[in-house]
Amino acid sequence: MSRVELQRRGARRSRRADGGGRERVAFSSNPLLTVALPAWRSKLLLFMLFVGFVALGGRAFYLMGGVTTDFLQRQGEARYARTLEVPATRGRVTDRNGIVLASSVPARAIWAIPDDVEAEAAELAELARLLQLGVPELKRRLADEDRSFVYLHRQVDVEIADRIAALKIAGVHSSREFKRHYPEGPTSAHIVGFTNVEDRGQEGIELAYERQLAGRAGSRRVIKDRLGRVVEDDWLREPVDGRDLALSIDNRVQYIAFSALKAAVEKNQARAGAALVIDVHSGEVLALANWPSYDPNARGRLSGDSIRNRAITDTFEPGSTMKPFAIATALELGKVRPDTRIQTAPGRLTIGDRTISDAHPHGVLTVEEVVAKSSNIGTAKIALELPPQALWDTYTALGFGQAPRLGFPGAVAGRLRPAKTWRPIEQATISYGHGVSVTLVQLARAYSAIARDGELVPLTLTKIDEPPVPVRVLSAQTAAALRKMLEMAVGDEGTAPAARIAGYRVAGKTGTAYKLKNGVYVKEYVASFVGFAPASDPRVVIAVMVDEPSGGAYYGGQVAAPVFAQIAGATLRTLQVAPDGPLEAPRQMVALRSPR
Amino acid sequence: MIVRALVVLLVALLFASALGLVTAQFRTRSLFVDLERSQQDARQLDVDYERLTIELARLSQPAAVERAALKLGFRAADPRQTVYLNLPQASAATPVAPGPRK
Repeated sequence: MSRVELQRRGARRSRRADGGGRERVAFSSNPLLTVALPAWRSKLLLFMLFVGFVALGGRAFYLMGGVTTDFLQRQGEARYARTLEVPATRGRVTDRNGIVLASSVPARAIWAIPDDVEAEAAELAELARLLQLGVPELKRRLADEDRSFVYLHRQVDVEIADRIAALKIAGVHSSREFKRHYPEGPTSAHIVGFTNVEDRGQEGIELAYERQLAGRAGSRRVIKDRLGRVVEDDWLREPVDGRDLALSIDNRVQYIAFSALKAAVEKNQARAGAALVIDVHSGEVLALANWPSYDPNARGRLSGDSIRNRAITDTFEPGSTMKPFAIATALELGKVRPDTRIQTAPGRLTIGDRTISDAHPHGVLTVEEVVAKSSNIGTAKIALELPPQALWDTYTALGFGQAPRLGFPGAVAGRLRPAKTWRPIEQATISYGHGVSVTLVQLARAYSAIARDGELVPLTLTKIDEPPVPVRVLSAQTAAALRKMLEMAVGDEGTAPAARIAGYRVAGKTGTAYKLKNGVYVKEYVASFVGFAPASDPRVVIAVMVDEPSGGAYYGGQVAAPVFAQIAGATLRTLQVAPDGPLEAPRQMVALRSPR
Repeated sequence: MIVRALVVLLVALLFASALGLVTAQFRTRSLFVDLERSQQDARQLDVDYERLTIELARLSQPAAVERAALKLGFRAADPRQTVYLNLPQASAATPVAPGPRK
């Protein structure tokens, strides 16, 4: 204990000891220091304090009690409440068996604010590597000082975006979006179509069914806590996911058609081609293939030529594939019977100032043989016996001259002039498929009427559960007679023995038409074949069109019929249709006679 | 006296209820955080499922199957190598039983 402290203790003790009797005088109440203050001053002070509190209370009431709360409420909410966009997932497109043809998965868009970007050379190199861009290209994009926002790359996989985020480069950000995947690639590209980077349909089914597939984004108001976790929410609008869409396409048949068509176009050095497979009973399109094609997953190098869906959007003069319909009209009106004999010699026929001809002179043919051997003269002679309006009515009932209601963008009507304007020469040429233009879809649909006993059903690209209501356009007898003629056309004496396949009877008609360029027929051809199988109880209609074959062969029987045979054989086996024909190999003979 | 006891009791109750409210709010929020996390996981699983479906479609597309089959030296079945068995009461739509020809 120090001395100072001891002294202090002593002093305290002594004060207590002597303080007993004497009146204690507090230091504060020293009379010398007493000042006589007026009483109002303390009251004033009290009053001012009161006023101060009232003002505070009033202010608090003003801010909280409902007079003007907006501003503070807004400021408060800005600190804990957020409105989040909840994106809707685009519906899938599947084939008829549920195989995915198009589907969306989340992806990221990587973007930057050029002014804010601070990165070392190594970081930039890594970023460029992850984005699969060259470093100079990346620098060029970041050097654009005029813009406060620049996309570095869109539709980046989430994993790569996460690795970019892990680099923590200032000024580089990512935002959510979707990437559409097309697992089948070029095979079904024309029918499915594609979307743009905003996930909006641009072509094909993706465009046609945009409303069903797209869905609608929602939004919700959430409260976030200190750690950024959502602790409360309130839906402003629920998101509606896009609905899935099942197409009528069977991806196995689609592949069969696509690969057969591709091989034929390449072998015949053709410009393009299209093939179509239709289910006779339901009108469903099982396959719709086009070549050239494109990969919808890599849309960088798209050209209009390869994205065009020729089967639906391109018209051509069909040539001989139109003949059965003129014959059908004549049969319906009773002008001819299948065994009526027609003189086609000498292979030329002059109508007005124009002469039409057969590729090979035939002499006297029955009506059946006219179709089987594809005689222009025979068909024209029969057609000239008919009233133009009757012919026009048949064509129109079969769907020519009208755009098919497929719900597909760009479906065209083709050209079928009113019967009143036909001159006799036109009536003759139209009967064998010149002077009229059609699409492959129209042809295939018209043949389905022959295949199913004269009834026509609407075609559909989407899967349907109930068979559609058919409309009768030809009598059952006429259809049966035509089926027999078309089966003869693929016989040894017909134009298309190459269309035959092992195990199934087939029937069909070739077409070889000159192309019309700038209003003049040129020595370029469209080779086509339309037919159905099995002939005894048709299950599928198959139409094939090859545009400008230039590899030497150009007749429908040489170019398109083998494609039909490949597609028909593989498709019927895939669909497990019971064979109805001889199992030995068909004689692979190329038709050289009666090409048209 | 009774009034005073009542006031004390009510104050205690009020206090307990206020604490309860705070606890309930807290639990709601932490449960909501869990729910949110689970929903996030569910969404992630959906995305993974979608990704796998696409991958499956890509690997099982006929073109890929054909490539693999050709590599193994397979050939497509042909009616000539197929034995067709007609079942009793055979009709036009005879079921087809494929098998090797003996």
